[in-house]
Amino acid sequence: MKGRIYYLQILMGLGWILSGSISLAKEPNHLLPVAATHNDSQKSAVAFEHVHTLGIDAESRTLFLGAHTGLFRRENGGRSWRKVALPASVSHLDVMAVTPDPKNSKTIYIGAHEAGVLKSADGGATWKEINSGLGGVDVHGIAIDPNDGKLHALVRDKGEGIYRSTNGGGKWIRVDDGPGGEVKGLYSVNISTGMGGIFLYAPTAEGLKRNPDCF
Amino acid sequence: MGGLPANRTVNGFAVVDPKIMYVAMRDGLFKSTDAGETWKRTGGELKNLAAVAINPKKPNEVYVATMDGKIYMSADAGMKWKKQQ
Repeated sequence: MKGRIYYLQILMGLGWILSGSISLAKEPNHLLPVAATHNDSQKSAVAFEHVHTLGIDAESRTLFLGAHTGLFRRENGGRSWRKVALPASVSHLDVMAVTPDPKNSKTIYIGAHEAGVLKSADGGATWKEINSGLGGVDVHGIAIDPNDGKLHALVRDKGEGIYRSTNGGGKWIRVDDGPGGEVKGLYSVNISTGMGGIFLYAPTAEGLKRNPDCF
Repeated sequence: MGGLPANRTVNGFAVVDPKIMYVAMRDGLFKSTDAGETWKRTGGELKNLAAVAINPKKPNEVYVATMDGKIYMSADAGMKWKKQQ
């Protein structure tokens, strides 16, 4: 036990470390051609361009897909996608993160370029921006602690860092610099650090990184 | 720790049971059963993956999306895959 605590202290001291890879080089981030799928009910085409993320609500009723062209949803067992209307202050939303609350199937968080964090409390029907305290609005990841619902949001560019909210996104406070560089997401993983917290994992251009969340 | 391709971007990540993790990469889908210490490629010929998700009600049901929007589903924790669209 003593050795494990020492090991974790070393982890804390090093900050974000790679998990399962020691690579440091960066892969070019290519844009790929648009693919189209069809909405059977409306007979209209829905285009996904540069998919970023997938998420499934806690009751597994809905599969959400975040892409360069917005947020899409497909009901469980269905084959047709519908674009989700988002009331953002910007006309075009690039959806980087979709984070369903694991304990409440009605609550969904998304992170977007230029719009920060948006929250739905009714399964994705209506949304509102919850950016109070965020230093920037280029959000690439939202992690939700499966134990207590605490949130961490990863902001890039202006105000870069990790922000924490303990009231469902009502107020954010900056707690860490984050892994840095090109970060693709942020996830709480229910593995105890032995120090009262759990781990945050982040897919990045340098591999998969992790850090204890007790900043 | 090891098993992920070196010098590559990790695009997507999914976990429900904290020991069982998936990462989506241009090189394909990789799975860890020891909380990320070691990784093995799964998902056959799947490539150019942007995202992965696990059904929280059925953790053996795994979805991946390619960067250009094709969706595949596995009902057996990543062994066999079926294109959904």
